[in-house]
Amino acid sequence: MNPIRKSMENIQASEELKQNTLRYLHEQQQKNRRVRFHYAPAYAVAVICFLLLVGTGGYSVYRKPVSYISVDVNPSIELNINCFGTVVSAVAYNDDGRNIIEQVPLKNVSYMEAIDRMLKDESCNKYLKKDALLVFTVVSDQSEKIVEELSGNKLFQSYGALTYTSDSACMHEAHQHEMSFGKYRTYLELLEYDKSVTIEDCHGMTMGEMHDRIASCSHNEQTEKKQSHHSNSQGSHGSKHGCDD
Amino acid sequence: MKSAEEINCAMETYADMVRRICFVHLKNRDDTEDVFQNVYMKYMLYEGTFESREHEKAWFARVTINACTDWLRGFSRRKWVPLEVIAEESEAIDDASGEVLEVVLKLPEKYRNVIYLHYYEGYSAVEIAGILGRKENTIYTWLARAKELLRKELGGEWV
Repeated sequence: MNPIRKSMENIQASEELKQNTLRYLHEQQQKNRRVRFHYAPAYAVAVICFLLLVGTGGYSVYRKPVSYISVDVNPSIELNINCFGTVVSAVAYNDDGRNIIEQVPLKNVSYMEAIDRMLKDESCNKYLKKDALLVFTVVSDQSEKIVEELSGNKLFQSYGALTYTSDSACMHEAHQHEMSFGKYRTYLELLEYDKSVTIEDCHGMTMGEMHDRIASCSHNEQTEKKQSHHSNSQGSHGSKHGCDD
Repeated sequence: MKSAEEINCAMETYADMVRRICFVHLKNRDDTEDVFQNVYMKYMLYEGTFESREHEKAWFARVTINACTDWLRGFSRRKWVPLEVIAEESEAIDDASGEVLEVVLKLPEKYRNVIYLHYYEGYSAVEIAGILGRKENTIYTWLARAKELLRKELGGEWV
């Protein structure tokens, strides 16, 4: 054995030192447990508050609509869509629309899924026959993207649906008249041709009827313009029938 | 946090080594008790796992050396009188051992560490480098210088 090892051989931890240390560690463990237990309710409250805050914040973000799609045939329905592209609520603006909403689950699915469900369901499908016109109107910061996505949908294409964009001011005006903003946009377009048309008239019209009337007025206007141009060349004025400028 | 069973086991296995490292660094039993408790407190709170007994032993050696160094940073604790330390342990140390220890305890701190780890615990220079976090070459140099100092004081036959 080397002298250094031999010289320290008897330097050992006494039993007293070991026991004192074990007692000290035991006290520290108890103290730690007491402190942890003492603060446990405070930790629990803090965690609950945090979860509530995150949960409430997350839920309010989820619930907040940022895009809107108005689906109009005769039924008029608006889909309110959150930032994740999920339908958070659907609002009907006539009895036909209410009938569809009652029968087709549209909430908490993507707006494309909601539209697919709606168009495939008999409650909506029955309105899409013969001369019916299906119109989608979009209000959103990302309206181009939504319109593009809608236009690519096969069902959409098979019904020869039309797409328009609108704005939130028009949407608020529409709601004041208890009308979907898609139908209201069409009403404003019709009003351009026919000043005699009222919002009450439009409440009772289908989108097909409104578009037919726009087409008719537009056609009359063009005919009148041609006649006016022809009469002017002969030095006389024509009269308007049905539609104002 | 380590269980009471793990602490008891570590106490039985490493208490003597921790005590001896304290002995070569600290000036009295009170300091030793404080550092000894600190080392085991660190062990109790240590969240990591040890790959082997050797790994655990090296952890104790390193933590004890660091705890002693930290303890000696206090200005009032720097006074180092080897004879007083040895006198405290007179019951356990005979005259011949006292003579060797006096020389060892007079060595600079870094030399004391390598001498203890090498000659008492049997660690190689490479292992000591790992424990102290130094380069191997540094440890070789310290060992050589420490041996030279011991040889001068104790004569050529000391090891």
